[in-house]
Amino acid sequence: MTSGASDTDGAARIVRDVVCGFCGLGCDDLEVAVTGRAIAPRRACPEAARLLARTDAPPPSARIAGTPASLEDAAAAAARHLAASRSAVFSGLGADLEGLRRLYDIAMVAGASLDHAASAGLFANLERLARRGWIAATLAEVRNRCDVLVVLGADPASAFAHFFERAMPSAPVPADADAAPLFVPHAGGRSVVIVGGPLSDTSRAQLTRHDVVEITVPEDRIATAAAALSAALAGRATEALAGLPLGVAEALALLAGRLKAARYGVLTWNAATLPPEDAAAVAGAAAEAVDILNVTTRAAVFPLGGRDNVTGAHQLALWRFGYPLRTVVGAGTARHVPDLYATATALADADLLLHASAFRPDPPPGFDRGPVIALAHPGTAFAREPEVFIPVGTPGVDHAGHVFRMDSVICLPLQGLRPAELPSVAAAARAILAALGRAA
Amino acid sequence: MRTRITGGRVFDPANAIIDQVRDILIEDGRIIADAPPAPGEDVIDATGAIVLAGGIDLHSHIAGGKVNLGRLLMNEDRLLHPEPFGDFCGCGGGRAAPTTHATGCRYSQMGYTAVFEPAVVGANARHAHLEMADIPNIDTGGFLVLGNDDFLLRLIAQGEGQQAVNDYVAWMLRATQCCAIKIVNPGGINAFKFNGRALDLDETGPFYGLTPRRILNTLQRAVSELGVPHPIHLHGCNLGVPGNVKTTLATIGASEGFPLHLTHIQFHSYGTEGDRHFSSGSAEIAEAVNANPHISVDVGQIMFGQTVTASADLMSQYRNHKIADPKKWIGMDIEMDAACGVVPFNYRDTSFVNALQWAIGLELFLLIEDPWRVYLTTDHPNGGPFTSYPHLIRLLMDKPFRDDHLGRIHKAARAHTRLAEISREYTLEEIAVVTRAAPARTLGLRDRGHLGPGARGDVVLYEEQPDREAMFAAPRLVLKDGKVVVVNGEVVELVDGRTYAVHPPYDPLMDKRLERWFDEAVGLKANHYRIADGEIRNGQGPEIVELNP
Repeated sequence: MTSGASDTDGAARIVRDVVCGFCGLGCDDLEVAVTGRAIAPRRACPEAARLLARTDAPPPSARIAGTPASLEDAAAAAARHLAASRSAVFSGLGADLEGLRRLYDIAMVAGASLDHAASAGLFANLERLARRGWIAATLAEVRNRCDVLVVLGADPASAFAHFFERAMPSAPVPADADAAPLFVPHAGGRSVVIVGGPLSDTSRAQLTRHDVVEITVPEDRIATAAAALSAALAGRATEALAGLPLGVAEALALLAGRLKAARYGVLTWNAATLPPEDAAAVAGAAAEAVDILNVTTRAAVFPLGGRDNVTGAHQLALWRFGYPLRTVVGAGTARHVPDLYATATALADADLLLHASAFRPDPPPGFDRGPVIALAHPGTAFAREPEVFIPVGTPGVDHAGHVFRMDSVICLPLQGLRPAELPSVAAAARAILAALGRAA
Repeated sequence: MRTRITGGRVFDPANAIIDQVRDILIEDGRIIADAPPAPGEDVIDATGAIVLAGGIDLHSHIAGGKVNLGRLLMNEDRLLHPEPFGDFCGCGGGRAAPTTHATGCRYSQMGYTAVFEPAVVGANARHAHLEMADIPNIDTGGFLVLGNDDFLLRLIAQGEGQQAVNDYVAWMLRATQCCAIKIVNPGGINAFKFNGRALDLDETGPFYGLTPRRILNTLQRAVSELGVPHPIHLHGCNLGVPGNVKTTLATIGASEGFPLHLTHIQFHSYGTEGDRHFSSGSAEIAEAVNANPHISVDVGQIMFGQTVTASADLMSQYRNHKIADPKKWIGMDIEMDAACGVVPFNYRDTSFVNALQWAIGLELFLLIEDPWRVYLTTDHPNGGPFTSYPHLIRLLMDKPFRDDHLGRIHKAARAHTRLAEISREYTLEEIAVVTRAAPARTLGLRDRGHLGPGARGDVVLYEEQPDREAMFAAPRLVLKDGKVVVVNGEVVELVDGRTYAVHPPYDPLMDKRLERWFDEAVGLKANHYRIADGEIRNGQGPEIVELNP
């Protein structure tokens, strides 16, 4: 697959250019020191460092109702529960594409609804994307082309620590013909406007060479401000402005003018951190603004999101079943009813929960209507012991795998960093499929 | 393990075998020279059947990001067309943008055994390959989209010379594991990122100051010098624009003697005559193709009904997005490589423009004389879903059937087409050429598209019947690598396909240059962009197509 350059530093092996699959931004320049099975991050954002750090401790074994068991026995127990189930829910889906493919195979055999733990933001965006569409850009386009970046909502760096560094680097001094941004006319040409905020001190420091404007808007007024911005761009009267803090309407009108004068404006938001009732409206207003701008100049949306390969789970569901997540599959059919098959709703009628979370030790959602099968991070602390627990390795730590970046175009190869002692989600799922009498 | 197919009428134009009753022998997945019957061999009675090599579609959008966006927009279509129940159901479906499993099964059911995705954007290549690995029963390959990528345009603009371009093209082909180069609207997709709204063949594009002609010629030379078998696969300038026949003729003239493939030429054959300023340019295009033996085309026939158009040509798709039906569409600028635009369309025989497009496509099929330079496509799903091929074959083979359909289209469109005057009917031999022998030859696939010794054991038995649509919709038998996968139009077995790639050599200095470019400009390591052999088809690796000497 891919190999980060590695050398040794004392007893430790240093691995460079590590690809990160956690937040969805897809940084691929991390560095770790590996000693035996212990991993010490050397270059990583705090979130990645926390999730990459591993000790040399031996991993736990699989368990059936709390009793240690072999993988084969645990898989057989999982298969028995699945075969007896009439209404299974697969949640979490925090896995690489190889793992997801096998989990979807199990769902096709046993029948189950599918949803990812981080899909709420995705579905808010799909309200606009699937129903009306939008014009989007990928990371390298933003990085090289965007002269006015508008952030709607909180500081992106709170969830995506290196967002500004990767999306909005400033022109290097001295000039370098290969270095981004290639198409922004002059070094001081980039503007970053945050509608919401505030920016963290770190982000401000990161953006010192750009022209930064902070339009402070409380969280519950961001949808209104976004609507006001697209109204201002359309030249519409803006009753929508009601309820915005003093001065914000004027600032948004100025911003509209700045976007119209921009060569390539980009609007970004993180639907997962906006108030759930407003997230779809923000996505809609941003897409609307971009539609208006593209009549005379160029602009695009860049939606933030993509934790734990939710983008990959969505893409795979589309190419396998023709529908996004929140779809029930099995018995030769697939039915997509997002309201019904969102994990929380689906669990109300379920008789089994299979939870997969390989990237982080997130426990399964609360469920007491039937057995719980957990293909989970070895560090998971369960509120109640699952009927079947198969600890799994982490893609990009214990084994190789593929994950999608948030812009849904780039699919990244993760590599194993240490000797794997745990099965991957794919291997665990294959064992369950075998126990169900199906070859993967 | 030997299989004998006996008693069928064999059409194998690549080996000059036309309508001869003879045996085909398959051993270990490949066709072998005829030999006396041996004990233990399987015998398939092909009496009453036409025997052809497996079908090859060299231009069908079946995998990758834009297809997935099409699926996202076409949930209604998906709901209306679920996969049939049974052992070979993949819980998928869809007609305009079918799921991967449905794609493999539906193609296989029509007797196709290889299909090529003609627009792989480098940045999205890994995704496209992951989808291809999930398509059963057919072999696949991707054409890499170049000609709007900033690295290339900069190389040309800076006058770095052909060798540097060749090294870059070779590097990209290996990195993306593709088997040919496609150019989509040369320079135009890039121009749209700089707010350019149109770019004609000799117009200078923004920023780099390059004309589409220069980009085209540079890449034609590159694939020729690298020995890539398939010539440049060109989606030209001004797709869909009335009057683009001039651009297309100029493009044929611009090819400087290098072979050139013009794809979905139907969309590039429009004049501006008549009250509605939209007319057929097929006669002029056909004449130019007939006169230029280095030009090949696929038609991109439109078929009436609901579909979705998916293209890397965001400049053109932006121009068309207002006629989206249903009213939704998605555009995307992609990673310094290209772009995409996905726009649902409903082609109606009651629409003047759509009806004339339909007629123009058929005129091209019928006026271009040499079937070895025309490949049967609908540019799936852009002109219509690939499942309409049997209907299209009947339109080509059956003049009364064609006239009957012509009688039903928009009246004014009927008055603007010469279709009624054209008496040509495709023969079975010609169908074997345009769906098998010719695409294999242009792609450099020496063991495909024919039934001679050494060929893949991809063999199809079609029941001879007067209704050619029924005949080509449900073959009696389809063998993939010697294994029966379809019986009487039903899938009976799923097998893994393979993926074709070309691996031309390049100067290792290009590694260093691109490492720097990816690091600094793109913001992704070149090593992570590059797709390893082991990532293809679940570890199987690519099937390497030999380069021309």
